[in-house]
Amino acid sequence: MSTETATGSTDVERSLLERLRASPFLSQLLANRLAVVGLSIIGFVAILAIYARLTYDLEGLMATQYGVNPAETPPNAEYWFGTDGQARNIFPRVIYGAWYAMLYGTVTVLASTVLGISFGILAAYYGDLADNVIMRTMDVLLSFPSLLLALALVTIFPEELGLWRAVAALTLVYTPRFARVVRGAALKVLEDEYIEATRALGATDPRLLVRHVLPNCLAPITVQSTLNFGLAIIDIAALSFLGFGASPGEPTWGMMLSNGVEFGLFSGIWWWSFFPGFVLALTVLGFNLLGDGMRDALDPRMRETVD
Amino acid sequence: MVSKRFVAKRLLLLVPVLFGVSTLVFAILHLSPGDPAVAIAGQRASQAFIEQVRSDLGLADPLWQQYVRFLGDVVTFDFGQSYQIQRGTPVSSILAQRLPITIELAVLGQIAGLVFGLPLGILSAVKQDTVTDHLTRIGALSGISIPIYWSGPLLILLFAQFLGLLPTSGRIGSEYFLEPITGLILVDTLLTWEFDAFVSAATHLLLPVVVLGIYQMALISRMMRSSMIEVLRQDYMRTARAKGQGAKITVMKHGLRNAFIPVITIVGIQFGTLLGGAVLTETVFEINGIGTLLVDAINRSDYPVVQATVLVFAVLYTLVNLVVDLTYSVLDPRIEQ
Repeated sequence: MSTETATGSTDVERSLLERLRASPFLSQLLANRLAVVGLSIIGFVAILAIYARLTYDLEGLMATQYGVNPAETPPNAEYWFGTDGQARNIFPRVIYGAWYAMLYGTVTVLASTVLGISFGILAAYYGDLADNVIMRTMDVLLSFPSLLLALALVTIFPEELGLWRAVAALTLVYTPRFARVVRGAALKVLEDEYIEATRALGATDPRLLVRHVLPNCLAPITVQSTLNFGLAIIDIAALSFLGFGASPGEPTWGMMLSNGVEFGLFSGIWWWSFFPGFVLALTVLGFNLLGDGMRDALDPRMRETVD
Repeated sequence: MVSKRFVAKRLLLLVPVLFGVSTLVFAILHLSPGDPAVAIAGQRASQAFIEQVRSDLGLADPLWQQYVRFLGDVVTFDFGQSYQIQRGTPVSSILAQRLPITIELAVLGQIAGLVFGLPLGILSAVKQDTVTDHLTRIGALSGISIPIYWSGPLLILLFAQFLGLLPTSGRIGSEYFLEPITGLILVDTLLTWEFDAFVSAATHLLLPVVVLGIYQMALISRMMRSSMIEVLRQDYMRTARAKGQGAKITVMKHGLRNAFIPVITIVGIQFGTLLGGAVLTETVFEINGIGTLLVDAINRSDYPVVQATVLVFAVLYTLVNLVVDLTYSVLDPRIEQ
């Protein structure tokens, strides 16, 4: 039983890899200079994140450093990004922020993708009542401006969860987008004749969904996920900025920006807001460049214009 | 023209959506761990007093009774009084005072975004794959990557702190006292013929509108570009050019009209982003709109205010999208089916 599923999954992987190699998608993507720039930015930030996680001690980054460093120092050779109001060196804090953004962003995007895929496929496959219940619920969630829905949803979760509150709220906010994309793609696939044929050959429902419907929805999902990644990073930081998410002292970009605006702005201390925001914007730009490139590579009409 | 049946059908479809939205808002607040009775009575109040407050508020009733009462409140748009923010003031009058502030900001931000975004998108499409196009695209992509809570502080630092050209926060100089008429500060200062006050209000609004506008501009120019490219490739464009019509006239006459249809949808879809952006802009610039109201109300467990504000945001969003749908069908009658 277990060996069967194992070979089944490698089959899927192999056919996916072959399809990737055969399709012009990868070469298109790599030919798109902006997408490659985006990919490099993401790679760079990911390396920073892992480096920070492995080298810096989080407790040390959060504790006040009076006496160790001078407070409120502008950037100089020793403190590249300056120091903050509690004499903490800002550079390692900004770098550590990359770990937070990547970790929480990944979880948010993964969770909403998986939930969205499940709901979308279930709605498309079972139709009727299931479709109506699922999609009308998604419609209600889509009737709110996303950041405001996230703000309201954050309050459901206990405060001890910290940033995970933001992750949970944003997962609920993003899920309907994926569900819609997947449902549309799945309905198209289910209409194809080969699905009928596969079913005639005795394929069971779960097998049909996993082996035939899911792989055919992967392309639009991947683009949506990539573009959503940038948005997730912006929104998680936005919730922290508004006071719902990271706890004080935590080296997240949103929290640093919030402090920079609250305490640094009117005294002209620019480096408190500038550096965390710059790295955040750069990271988001990376995901947007890559997502755009992927969409161009997937959309044949766009491809014509490139030729 | 739009048929009356189509409008009626769309309006009817609003009912289940608003019902669902109200139910969700009710559910969210009853799932949150905070206790409004404790929030009002104070942490050190006696248990008996807390229970008294709870039953006064109707929070001790069975859940279904509270739900039915809430739906009634939604229909009559009466959410009772604020618990905390302006204790005892009806929520509807707080909203009436704060809503115009947000609407003014959002509308001006949207206009700024359209005024700059549309020409940039068209330029980018017409000059596709040239240096102009690449620069515009990279600019737009950077625009949507820069969060408002970063561009806002940077512009305040530059124009208010270092150059001293513009005020940093608020809506008008403290020397002016203005009795709200419409609640829209630019309109009110003009109605009372106070030109100095108008200038003060306008300089206060400039940075927030720019911050909100940059983001909208970036979104709109991207959408306008792809929609225009699509149109430029249509056969009728070639026909028009073959007839001997000049390139500029063809783009303006045939291209724009057809490319605008998707742009109107975009304005509708992005209205949610606009409102979210307005909340952040209000926080950065300390503007007392409904965005800051919502954040305050959540922080202080002011349930009636939270409920009403979230509902207002959802209703605004839904209504704008309804108007968009109707406009859309005026421009392209095929859509009614």
